[in-house]
Amino acid sequence: MRVIIPLLLFAFQLGAIVYARFVPTRYFCWAPYDTQTEYWANATVNGHALTAPEFRQRYRRPRHGFDNRSPQHVIDMLQQVEQKRAALGEKASVVMQYRVNGKAPHIWRWPASTPKDETEK
Amino acid sequence: MSSTTTAEQSGSRNAPSASKPSWNPLKCSGTDLPKNLAIMVKTLAIAALVVNHVRILPDPWLPFIPFLDRFPPVLFQKTLQTLFLVSALAIVFNRRLRLFSLIIGSTMLVAVVSSKAYYGNNKTFCGLMFLLAGLYKPGTPNFFRWQLAITYFGAGLNKLLDPDWQSGLFFENWAVNRLHQPLYMALNSRLPSLVLARFMCWTTIVTELAIVPCLLVRQLNTVAVFSNVVFQASLCLFEGTTFTLFFYSMTACSLALVKWPDQPSPVFYDPSRPLSHVARRFFAWWDLDETFHWIPLESTPRGRSPVYLFAGKTVYSGFRALQMIFLLNPVTYFVLAAIIASLQSMPADVGAFLRRMIVGSSLVLLAPPLAWIVDRLFGPGTLSSHPLPGPVRERLSA
Repeated sequence: MRVIIPLLLFAFQLGAIVYARFVPTRYFCWAPYDTQTEYWANATVNGHALTAPEFRQRYRRPRHGFDNRSPQHVIDMLQQVEQKRAALGEKASVVMQYRVNGKAPHIWRWPASTPKDETEK
Repeated sequence: MSSTTTAEQSGSRNAPSASKPSWNPLKCSGTDLPKNLAIMVKTLAIAALVVNHVRILPDPWLPFIPFLDRFPPVLFQKTLQTLFLVSALAIVFNRRLRLFSLIIGSTMLVAVVSSKAYYGNNKTFCGLMFLLAGLYKPGTPNFFRWQLAITYFGAGLNKLLDPDWQSGLFFENWAVNRLHQPLYMALNSRLPSLVLARFMCWTTIVTELAIVPCLLVRQLNTVAVFSNVVFQASLCLFEGTTFTLFFYSMTACSLALVKWPDQPSPVFYDPSRPLSHVARRFFAWWDLDETFHWIPLESTPRGRSPVYLFAGKTVYSGFRALQMIFLLNPVTYFVLAAIIASLQSMPADVGAFLRRMIVGSSLVLLAPPLAWIVDRLFGPGTLSSHPLPGPVRERLSA
């Protein structure tokens, strides 16, 4: 076990490094501080626009903030919260504007009724 | 930490001591881990306790492993916190280091996979360091070296394939818009657009990828250890932060790559020089593990080193010997980790300034280049150009 467990962990990490080449996320592949994502998000739940504290409580992130990894990590968090809450009957909409490494901003929306990820003109 | 010319993996040669472990947190001999691993886990435990990492251990929230959010959140979080705190304290006080390293490492890794809000490379790496120490068995391969190699490979590869790193855009945005780094901005303003940013990006990529073969080829381990410490210290100096637990974990990992003397190291000193007595008293005062055995030289010709240190089969003289006495004393690492970690409670700019001062001065004072300069300017020079005194030579040839 003292050898097998480390070897399995290493195999998993190498697999994650390869997997990261095909997806936008960067989980468990050792990409710390490789991307700077700045975002601004607003959410409305059952017709109520969330205040800053309400937003933080729901998504465990501030409405405006930074993430030192792929923007998909922020999107994952917002999207997965809403997917779970939708099962409880909540109707929410989220709009997030974000920019990666200071480049032109993008917009992500939930639910994705409009094009899922668009560059702001 | 400098590795000696005989740097070895933490295998059977760094065997745990047979003496009973002390409750004194500044001591670390007699535990069930080799001394270098004991220092590593204790340093990490001290840092984790001082920054109060236990308070951010999560309840299950968007876990990577779905069933984890079926546990009652408060019970789950309190269990993690209790295990973390008990294990960290046990490690600091030298109780069952292997077992409690296994527990705290597992706790951190469970926390990482149980919450996307908690997830982070620094916590994952720190958890892995504890876990690998907990799984340590004499004679097994040095998995710390493998782990560090995978980490640098993943980090270097991701940057290499990222267009924003290739062009320097990442660094430009990070240093100018995020950090407002004054030195970078001043230098950048004198150069063509993105030249400095591209240089920094490619230096980072090359460094990270070059460390990988140095880790995997044992003969190059000294280079790997030195490069790892200098690179991580440079990141800390540039940003002024420790990236949560990343700085502590990555630098402490170097301890797992070096051979630690398993016997008290003899230090021959010249009793005719007052400075030798001052040095002996100073270093003996905080040599709680009795790592050094100070022996007066009966006769030393003028111009020779006032101090000779034997560490394993390597002998150091002059300023380099004093550096090594610092580096081979576990208290050095505990105190540095505790001081740097304690700065977290300060205002951000004050903490960053002090952190830079401590990391920068430690790097300068304890790294080989300063010893090389001092010993050539004021000291005895190299061992090859200045023969050892008789008793030291006899010891070396014994």
